[in-house]
Amino acid sequence: MMRFSQLRIWLLVVAVVTVLALAACSSDETSGGEAEPDKITAWAWDPHFNIAALEIAKESYGKDLELDVIENAQDDIVQKLNTGLSSGSMKGMPNIVLIEDQRAQGFLQSYPDAFFPIDEYFNLDDFAPYKLEPTSFDGKQYGLPFDTGVTGLYFRTDYFKEAGYTKEDLMNITWERYIEIGKDVKAKTGKDMMTLDPNDLGIIRVMIQSAGSWYMKEDGKTVNLVDNEPLRKAFENYKAMMEADFIKANSDWSQFLAAFNNGDVATVPSGNWITPSIEAEDSQAGKWAVAPIPKLDIEGSVNASNLGGSSFYVLNIPGKEKAAEFLGKTFGSNKEFYQDLVLEVGALGTYTPASDGEAYQTENEFFGGQSVTSDFSKWMEEIPSVNYGLHTYAIEDILVAEMQNYLKGKNLDDVLADAQAQAEAQLK
Amino acid sequence: MSKVVKRTNLPYTINLKSSGSWLKKNYIGWLFILIAAAGICLFYFYPMVQALLLSFQSGMGANLEYVGLDNYVRLFKDPTFIAALRNTFLYLLIQVPLMIILALFLSVLLNNATLKFKGFFRTAIFLPCVTSLVAYAVLFKYLFGENGLINQFLLNLSIISQPLNWLSDPLLAKIAIIIAITWRWTGYNMIFYLSALQNIDKSMYEAAEIDGASSLQKFFYITVPMLKPIILFTSIISTIGTLQIFDEIMNITNGGPGNATLSISMYIYNLSFEYSPDFGYAATVSYVIVILVVLLSLIQFKVAGDKK
Repeated sequence: MMRFSQLRIWLLVVAVVTVLALAACSSDETSGGEAEPDKITAWAWDPHFNIAALEIAKESYGKDLELDVIENAQDDIVQKLNTGLSSGSMKGMPNIVLIEDQRAQGFLQSYPDAFFPIDEYFNLDDFAPYKLEPTSFDGKQYGLPFDTGVTGLYFRTDYFKEAGYTKEDLMNITWERYIEIGKDVKAKTGKDMMTLDPNDLGIIRVMIQSAGSWYMKEDGKTVNLVDNEPLRKAFENYKAMMEADFIKANSDWSQFLAAFNNGDVATVPSGNWITPSIEAEDSQAGKWAVAPIPKLDIEGSVNASNLGGSSFYVLNIPGKEKAAEFLGKTFGSNKEFYQDLVLEVGALGTYTPASDGEAYQTENEFFGGQSVTSDFSKWMEEIPSVNYGLHTYAIEDILVAEMQNYLKGKNLDDVLADAQAQAEAQLK
Repeated sequence: MSKVVKRTNLPYTINLKSSGSWLKKNYIGWLFILIAAAGICLFYFYPMVQALLLSFQSGMGANLEYVGLDNYVRLFKDPTFIAALRNTFLYLLIQVPLMIILALFLSVLLNNATLKFKGFFRTAIFLPCVTSLVAYAVLFKYLFGENGLINQFLLNLSIISQPLNWLSDPLLAKIAIIIAITWRWTGYNMIFYLSALQNIDKSMYEAAEIDGASSLQKFFYITVPMLKPIILFTSIISTIGTLQIFDEIMNITNGGPGNATLSISMYIYNLSFEYSPDFGYAATVSYVIVILVVLLSLIQFKVAGDKK
């Protein structure tokens, strides 16, 4: 009997506690203040780029708006959004958030009601077309396109001169030609051609987007690896570059920067956002120039591609109209603002009317007087539009592993077929 | 309450007047543990049950739906998961024994009565444990970098002629991770052994010496058997820790090259935050860790032959 009552009390305690626990958990606030807030919050990363751009936007916005810009690392923003939005509670979420283009579809489709469509707040035709596909979903525009990741081939004019090449030799070339030149440059100057992180297939993405292809088909869902001709070509080029022995391996961002700041590599094929990092090494002023990115040796590939870039999104919470209007009046339509952006931050937007502005024509002394900004904005308009779809990073992790097998000698057909099978199994 | 009094085999006879007075006597006790018990249920058991339910669901982000055992079937067909599992077991099988033996060895050395600067050595070996996981992982990343300290050291000693690609070679990257974890946790385990060594009766060693035992014999026939419970404890703790390894992988190699150093926890992170979020499948993978911890701990208890 004693045992019985002890058991009973235990049961009672557990029951009480469970009820308490459940009660505590189910008492979610459903009435979450409908009142318009006075303050608009925005989450973004990189104080020298995105945050600075938001600050300039705030200044150029005529109306009085209390905008609170909160700096977070990009990874933290991704985590906070995922945990916050999946909990179903919008508490603590910002009004405006910056999302990388390749992740945007994942968020838009994972949390369909969490974002606010902003079609009405700006003119879609004013923006580079390649930027609209990843930022819209289900016929509605959710993102306000911000910076471009338009790529260029940054190269050291002094090294190329030493090897007997001029800028003309690098204009509108293919990757195959790039590899030939690279071998020659390495033989004559001893300098590596470029630096790569084996865990980051950014260069592959650059190559395939130049031919309008991606890891997924246009629907953004069907895995497109095995019969993807541009991808096959890109893999072949990648292996050829590795075998040409002109790749300096790096394993993180700081080693990547060090490789060209120390003058170890002759070219940097990258997004235009790398410009400030290249300019950071004063001693190399006048020794750099930018050529169009090489293309793939197949029909339909152009000398323009994209790497990175992000856009602003408005969350579906009180204050959304205010936030959308702010974005529309600044990033969405203000030509003058984009001139300031180029001059003060070096940020190149995707707002096309801005490109005939004065600031875009400025000659850059660091790049031997080349009008870098104007060149980039020309290339930007040629970038083929692709649907990044949902699973870029998941597929890339599979490809990184398969690329290692390919480099070790596995047959390319098997590599792509295996990658396709893995991706389909993982993403069903 | 004559019925109760008859049951003399119960140990708590003093409480046995009636269930009512028993409650009265103990309700203050219950009150004390109520908050802790509620806390444990709320923050421990409730999330565990929720995670279990979540592991039967699948879908992107907020669009979850019940899929039965699909996630568990998917596990066995998922090459990334299998790679993560294999890597984690490799860390476990190589790193844990290595660390336990090293810690045992160091603690016996440091327990030597004639050793000078004992305090200094003990502190020096324990010190890695007070560093933050992320801070030390970042340091190791730079140590193992292509022009990092370790490559420079090996180059200067002419052991290697070219810098080794520690972090971009699948095998070397695993070795680097194992070295890092061993550096971080050996001192922690050593402290347990040191304190246990203080409790071994000196007279046993003296008796063994009189019988003519060598120091090796003393180690294997006295020290190791006496430390057995502690060895069991540290190996279980280390096994659990290694199964959950995350910080080092995330910061030193980020799982690469390819999947060569990916651990189960890192894969859970990738599934939730790196790829299009699938919290259901991520929860399934995390339950694999739970099952593994339980199984491995049971095996260790059995192997160590501890009947209690």
